[in-house]
Formats: sequence, C-alpha cells, structure tokens
Amino acid sequence: MALATTFVIAVGATTMRYTTVIKEMNVLFSGQVMVVSNKSIIIQAIPIGGGMLPQNSTERKIQNVTGVEKTVPILFVTPIDIGGILQPVPVNFSMGIPVEDWQLILGPTPLKGNIGHFPTTESSNEVVVGASLADQYNWTVGKRILVSSYELEIAGILDTKLALLNRCIVMPLKLTQEIYKYPGSVNIITVKPLQGYPQKNLTDTIEKQIPYVSALTEDERNDMIQPILAQVETWNLGIQTVVFIMSLILVMTVTLMSVSERRRDFATLDAMGAPLNHVFRLVILETSLIGILGGAIGIFFGSLTALVLASLYTSIPLAQFFPSIFEIVPPLYMLEIFAAIVIVCCFGGVIPAINATRMRIAEVLRAEY
Amino acid sequence: MKIRTTDLTRTYRLGSSEIIAVNKVNLEVRDPTFIAVVGPSGSGKSTLLNLIGLNDYPTSGKILIDDADVSLLSSGERRKIRLFRMGFVFQTFNLLPTLNALENVELPMALAGKPRKEQRENALKLLEAVGLGNRLFHRPKELSMGEMQRVAIARALANNPEIIIADEPTGELDSKTAKEIITLLFDINRRQKTTVIVVTHDEKIVDVADTIYTILDGRLKLEG
Repeated sequence: MALATTFVIAVGATTMRYTTVIKEMNVLFSGQVMVVSNKSIIIQAIPIGGGMLPQNSTERKIQNVTGVEKTVPILFVTPIDIGGILQPVPVNFSMGIPVEDWQLILGPTPLKGNIGHFPTTESSNEVVVGASLADQYNWTVGKRILVSSYELEIAGILDTKLALLNRCIVMPLKLTQEIYKYPGSVNIITVKPLQGYPQKNLTDTIEKQIPYVSALTEDERNDMIQPILAQVETWNLGIQTVVFIMSLILVMTVTLMSVSERRRDFATLDAMGAPLNHVFRLVILETSLIGILGGAIGIFFGSLTALVLASLYTSIPLAQFFPSIFEIVPPLYMLEIFAAIVIVCCFGGVIPAINATRMRIAEVLRAEY
Repeated sequence: MKIRTTDLTRTYRLGSSEIIAVNKVNLEVRDPTFIAVVGPSGSGKSTLLNLIGLNDYPTSGKILIDDADVSLLSSGERRKIRLFRMGFVFQTFNLLPTLNALENVELPMALAGKPRKEQRENALKLLEAVGLGNRLFHRPKELSMGEMQRVAIARALANNPEIIIADEPTGELDSKTAKEIITLLFDINRRQKTTVIVVTHDEKIVDVADTIYTILDGRLKLEG
C-alpha cells in the first residue's frame, strides 16, 4: 500500500505541478492578444522556435490595426547563462519588457519585503529576479550578478506564486536585446484590445495585414494546450486507476491468505457466538488499518519522491523545494489519495471478511483432523 | 438448560460414499450434570458435540433446547444461545494468539456487550479461580499447555453459561495436568451447578462423570 501510494503521489504531484505551471502562464497575459512570428509556435506564454519580429516596424503595423489600445514588445529568452553556466530549459527564463510597461505585464506583483524598486530607465543594468532564483543563488537586493558575461544589479526580488516569474530575470527590453544579441528584435508583442473589442476580430485583422505573424487570442492559446493537458490528466487518472486496482487485488489476496491462516481463530469466534457483523468489521478494520498505515507512509515517501523528481528535472537544489512542499503536493491531493487508498483497502477486505464470517468450527476442525 | 435430541443424524459425503458420523442419537441432558461421551477416534464424538453446541446442522432428527426446536431458530438466535448460554473448551485450546490471557477471557464478554469494567473484573476473578492470577498478561505462546487450557476454561465460563461443552479437554495434556483440568471441570459442575458435557478418551474423566455414554460408528449407548 505504501509503495502504491508513493507511486501515485509522486506521479500525480509531478504531472499536476507541470500542468499547473503551464496553466498559470496565461495569467501573465490575461485579456491580451499575443503576436509572434509565424515561424514560432506558442505554448501558453512561451514562444517556441527561433522566429523573431522586427520590434519597431511590427509594433507600428499592429498599432494601425483597428481595435488596438496598447502594444507591449517582449523579448523572452530561455535558456539563460548565469555565472557562465547555461541553465537548462525549462528552469530559468529571462524576460525583457520596456520599463514603462512593467505593470501591464507583471500586474500588481510586489517586491519581496517591499525592498528595492523596478528599474526605471532602459539603459540601466538593473533587473528584478524571481524569488526561487534568488534563493537558489543567494541573491539579495543590490547584489551584482553575471548573466551572459554582463554584470547586472539586482534592484528587487519578485514576490509571486507564479512558477514562471519565480524562475525569471526580468529586465529592461533594451538591456535584454543587448545581452542576448537581438538588437531591435522581440519574439512576442502583446496587444491589449480596446474595451469590448473582440479578440478574435483583432487577431484575424492582424494576421491579414501582417503576413509574417501569428496572432492568438487567450482562448486560442488555451485551446492549443487544452488537449495536451487533458491527455496528461487522462493518463494520470489511468495510472492511478491501474495502481488502485492492483492494490485492491493485492489487499484482497493478502487478506484472504491471512484469513485462511487464521481460520481456526475465526471459527473459534463463530463457536463462541460472535455476531457476524463483528467478525466482518474486524477484517474490514484490519484492511483499513493497512490502508491508513500504508497511505500515511506512502504520502510521506511520495511527497519526498515528488520533491526529488522536481529537483532532478529543474536542477534546483532539493532543500529549496521543502518550504513549498504543499504547493508541489497540495494537501487536498494528499487527502484525496489517502482517502482513496483507505477506501480501496476497505473494499479489498470485503470478500475476505465474508469468508471469515463463513468459518465454522465443525468444518475447520474436521478439515484439520 | 435442558437439551434433548431425537434421532439426531449427521452424514458427510466423502467422494461417492456417505459417512454416517452421528446415527439416530437420542440423548437427554438435564442440568446440572457431568456427562462423558467416550469412543474411539472417528466414532462421531466431536460431531455430536458440535451438533449439541449448535456449531453444526443435523442431516435429520431434532435438537430441542428447553423443548424448543433449534432448527426453527435463525443463525443469529443460535449465536445468542452459544454466546450467552454455552461455553466451549477445545482440545487444542483455540485461544486467540494475539490476545493475552486476560483479553482472551474478556473476549466473550466483549462480544456479549458487557461494560469494559465488568469484563475486566470478571476476567480477573475467573483467571484467579483457575489459578492463573499471576499469568494475566501472558500471551498463549508464553503459557504451558495446562495453563492454556485453564485460560480456555475461564473463557468458557466468561458469560456464566448453563452448559460447558468440552471436546477432548485433556487430549493434549500430560497426566498430572489432565487431572488438574478434570478437577477444575468437576468443581465448576458441582459448585456453579453448570452442566458439563465432555467427549474424551480419558478414563479419569469417566471416573468423575455422573453419566457415561459410549459412541461407536455414530451410535450412542448409555453405559451408566
């Protein structure tokens, strides 16, 4: 039971973690249209592929389209080189945003401890960093760091729950273009439609008027990822179902053997006049205890495995995940799996319990002698 | 408790042949008495005891308890009779190995729904009475054969039954311990006015019994 629970928790929590991260990416660009090169594909908020857009000309063309209120050019870079080591995908990101548009993209994201500030000039070398990155590298406000051989100064640490921002270095757009050698280029332009203007109309017009771009509404971005997420969740559910069925069979077999080994005890209870429901409850209680004990051990080791897996996948030190264990394995999920395993064990005890109620001293003794 | 059997028969099927374990037995038990049923192995002693103890169902014939036909009783009612009016002692003791002596004796009282305090007090008294006041918290594997049988007898007495049904209670014991157990059962019969029915090979039991039956090929015969 412990092994089954460990497996379910580890697999479930890991897949859930990634689907949550993917789902929450869209929070950043909520209510906006995203324009990328038609050579790129986009997964929620991340452009995949090397398609770049000439910043000024594309922005100008988009601004001329009816229904556009505001555009924000963004350079999104991954992987990034910190301290001379290239950090693998999907751990770390760098996002360049024009300094006047911080709030439009980051929303009301505060700075940790209200210390520091958002960079105010495009030419500065100041950046804000995600809390997870800061924890990993012991970065503090005012510290100077080396990113792709450029010395940058940390102006603030983002206080956010969003995984994407937690692993992000956010810097002025010009600085990003300079560091990553994309002068005058961006890979995303977000477009805020005029109040009440349909996103779909806007994307159709943009794609018609600018042939080298793809424009996606928020719904389209969700629709693209939804089948993949649904498939992941289906697989997860399938794995859980198989594990639970195997656990059910295992508990049933083990308990049947245990009841058979103790047939003399059950027959003695029967001879003493023990009520049938007492014997039945006794066996169910035993299998429930197996479930409770196995479930508790499994949740502990499963959560630990989920943390180790997260650490292995992201190269983030394991210790850094401990404070956020309940974000990686939500308590509600733990409770659901615990309840499921206890219920499975209870059901696994039903047939052995019925068997136990049928043990008769006369038959048992006759079989033994 | 009055038990009467009329033409009580129990047969088993073994492959294609039919074995008559108990053959038209007519027996009357009036309390309080000490009955010994003697017979060789396979003569039907234990089968008869299981029928009288309502642990088995006859193929034909009747068992009447206090003149009521038990075949008309539900399984639950039979259990209640076993729990509240009968006590069982087995040749191999049949103590629950995970429970200590005290808990084994408390068990029938727990099944009968007696309060926890009463269970503990009665179990202590019974174990003291069978001479095991100093072995209360020992599990069966920590007890000698004689001690295990004493615990089994204390357990059989737990719900103050009207009848004790004992299947070869001295079968696993040495002669000295067997004698002690026989004395204990005899004392219970005489002091508590509890009927004792014992099936046995042991002649020492026969010596103390009020009524002796022999059984051979399932047929019961009164010897004296």
